[in-house]
Amino acid sequence: MATEFHNLQELRHSVSLVTKVFIQRDYCEGTVCRFQTKFPSELDTRIEPTLLEETVKTLNSYYAEAEKIGGQSYLEGCLACATVYIIFLCMETRYEKILKKISGYIQEQNEKIYAPRGLLLMDPIERGMRVLEISVFEDQGSGSSSPSSSMSSAGSSAR
Amino acid sequence: MPAGGADSLKPSAFVPVCTAACLLVGSSSLFFVFTCPWLAVTVCPAVPPCCAVLFLFVLANFTMATFMDAGVLPIANEDEDKDDEFRAPLYKNVDVRGVQVRMKWCASCHFYRPPRCSHCSICDHCVEDFDHHCPWVNNCIGRRNYRYFFLFLLSLTCHMVLVFTFGLIYVLNHMDQLWKLHCTVTISGLFLIPVLGLTGFHLYLVSRGRTTNEQVTGKFQGGVNPFTRGCCNNLDKPPDLCCRLDRPMSEKVGDNGIQSPNFHTKVPVVDYDLAAPLVTVGQQERKCLKRYYFFLFCQQSSVRAVNLPDTKHQTSGPPPLPSSSSSSLSYDNLINPTDPQLLPQRAPPSSCYHPHFMTLGRDGTVGQRPAPPSYSPVFIGVSRQSPQPREISPSLQGLTSRDASPSFQGFIQRDLSPIFQGPLLRDLASHSVTTRDVPPPPGLTIRDIASQSLRDLGPQGLTPQKSSVTTRYDGYSKTIMASIQEKREMEERDRMLRLQARSQGLYGPDIGIYDIPNRRSLPPDNIRLPGSRGPTPPAYGSREFLMSTGLHGYGARASTLSSSSTSSLTRGPKTSSSPLQSSSSSSLQSKGRSSSPAYCPLERQSQPLPSSTATLPRLPSSSGPSYTSYATVKRTSVKHSSEAKDCVTLGALK
Repeated sequence: MATEFHNLQELRHSVSLVTKVFIQRDYCEGTVCRFQTKFPSELDTRIEPTLLEETVKTLNSYYAEAEKIGGQSYLEGCLACATVYIIFLCMETRYEKILKKISGYIQEQNEKIYAPRGLLLMDPIERGMRVLEISVFEDQGSGSSSPSSSMSSAGSSAR
Repeated sequence: MPAGGADSLKPSAFVPVCTAACLLVGSSSLFFVFTCPWLAVTVCPAVPPCCAVLFLFVLANFTMATFMDAGVLPIANEDEDKDDEFRAPLYKNVDVRGVQVRMKWCASCHFYRPPRCSHCSICDHCVEDFDHHCPWVNNCIGRRNYRYFFLFLLSLTCHMVLVFTFGLIYVLNHMDQLWKLHCTVTISGLFLIPVLGLTGFHLYLVSRGRTTNEQVTGKFQGGVNPFTRGCCNNLDKPPDLCCRLDRPMSEKVGDNGIQSPNFHTKVPVVDYDLAAPLVTVGQQERKCLKRYYFFLFCQQSSVRAVNLPDTKHQTSGPPPLPSSSSSSLSYDNLINPTDPQLLPQRAPPSSCYHPHFMTLGRDGTVGQRPAPPSYSPVFIGVSRQSPQPREISPSLQGLTSRDASPSFQGFIQRDLSPIFQGPLLRDLASHSVTTRDVPPPPGLTIRDIASQSLRDLGPQGLTPQKSSVTTRYDGYSKTIMASIQEKREMEERDRMLRLQARSQGLYGPDIGIYDIPNRRSLPPDNIRLPGSRGPTPPAYGSREFLMSTGLHGYGARASTLSSSSTSSLTRGPKTSSSPLQSSSSSSLQSKGRSSSPAYCPLERQSQPLPSSTATLPRLPSSSGPSYTSYATVKRTSVKHSSEAKDCVTLGALK
């Protein structure tokens, strides 16, 4: 069992940030929050295009849902006006709830899909929802060859 | 009132907002005290409560418009900068519903401004859907707080109409000398007209789907507004984006060394030794790595027992893993290389994780944060300039093609960073300078190449060296920085003299030896590529401007300036017209990404390199032909005209 941590430590020692890939906003529909689904060429060898595209599309749908104006939004607005905006201290708006959902989704995606491939998605809100940042990591220990495989092998041995 | 931005925090900036608040509260108080009792009796008992509610609404909207973040876009990291070529255009076109909209490069914030985004010079940040900067609330009005501003205007108009009307009725019924009421009526009457006008203006804007900025600049005067959704839909604004920038703000705030609020988490204790390699990497890398390690760690050890207290900014409910709403901070806590309190302890490995939990309070995070922005003035204005990893100045490219020294390319790529970092790192005694004695290619000082290397090498390119430089700079005092700077200047002067002697012997008088590269020695703006990005020059008299002149003294400039100001090919020293004029002209000549004074994010402060060295050098006039195709962006009268003449002359010669 000590080897589990030993491998993890080795893993930590050996991973380094190679580059960051930025997926820009798609302004075709105006200023609504949408990210481009075009696959960046830097990630050609790291991940299947369909996976990233699906992630981005899901994110776009979440943002569209957040910015939709419906009954709940009106109700929140009226309540806020009536309570002189004090309600914002007590209540979480629908938009905030969806943002949290997005954070959870990004985390889940990172765990399941991106971290095993040596990638890490950053929540766009940290960049003001201007770009979707993907950090690309590489395993230094085993050199540049097959970094993801070395990490997954380390991972499997750790389990 | 937003944080940051010198102008909005000046005492004079608070005068209008205080005046507005005093007038509002004062007049309304007089109204309620003197008029309402009589109105309740005479007109209707419901009048005072309605007026009071309306007044409360006015105050609430005023407060929200004043204090709510307008939708500030955080400054881009240097990692994002390197994506763009140095010669990338100043504008990028994007298609919005079939209409071509130009996105301009923001030199201060280092990104292309999204459509409808504008940079507020008072607050010194980019604001999304920028409407205007309102002095009466001392805040930008943008995407997030426009609704409050608009509602403030509407409610204020209604309130003023009511106060004026009822006050007038009272005064007409009480013709005795009640000066207080006369005041109220006068004030409300006087200000009613402008407020009514402004309200009407904004009603018009909202119905047309425009911002004040767009209206005033006449953007969609003749053309189509791609952002409008029709009159009715325009009145439906998107839901409140209350928390939208909470995390970037908190991250920014955290990066400034301020403890992030309400952060208190229990995380499994990690082995302190693991943190060792993290110490040597730069700030951004460290953050990314921490997050990444966290994910790997969680994946492999199946952590399920981390509890986070439910705060306003964090996910409610027990997530399987710490929610990413606190991710930016929790990872820091998880792997905290500088926290001495972390015990070197290994949790027992098991699928059901049973770690020793250690509570890391806010203090635990403090060590993580980059040092607060208390840098030496020498470096503050500099650190905003991020070295561009792929920037090859046209001048250097021209040189490469024409003055082909066989080792030139390799020289740039291989050896330049230690050269530049040499004077600094030598003092830091961390790296051996290997290439100090390498003869530079003709016409360029080592400094020029070094400065180019700074642009060429991004954070990743400089990884091992820059990272140590980064961590070391974080801790250096002003005096050490100043002494480093002095040493560097002396070495540069020595080198310059050597090279001058050498080059004049070999290449004749037309190859210029340039001074320590700084804004003064940059190629003039008239040789910039058409549409190339022009930086925001430091304001005359600003700290950065003074740095660029004061750092290297007036004496050393003579040789550089003479090359540009003279119309001949000779490079005899010539006194510049005035130090200030030449420095201002040189400041206007800065090429590539500019550094804005003072308000650099901490990420950039991890590279506190002098602005002078991070900018491109002015090239010898023999490289003129490569410049002649550049469009004029800015000119100073005497200098540039003579330079243009120079370039044309040389072009003709070639």
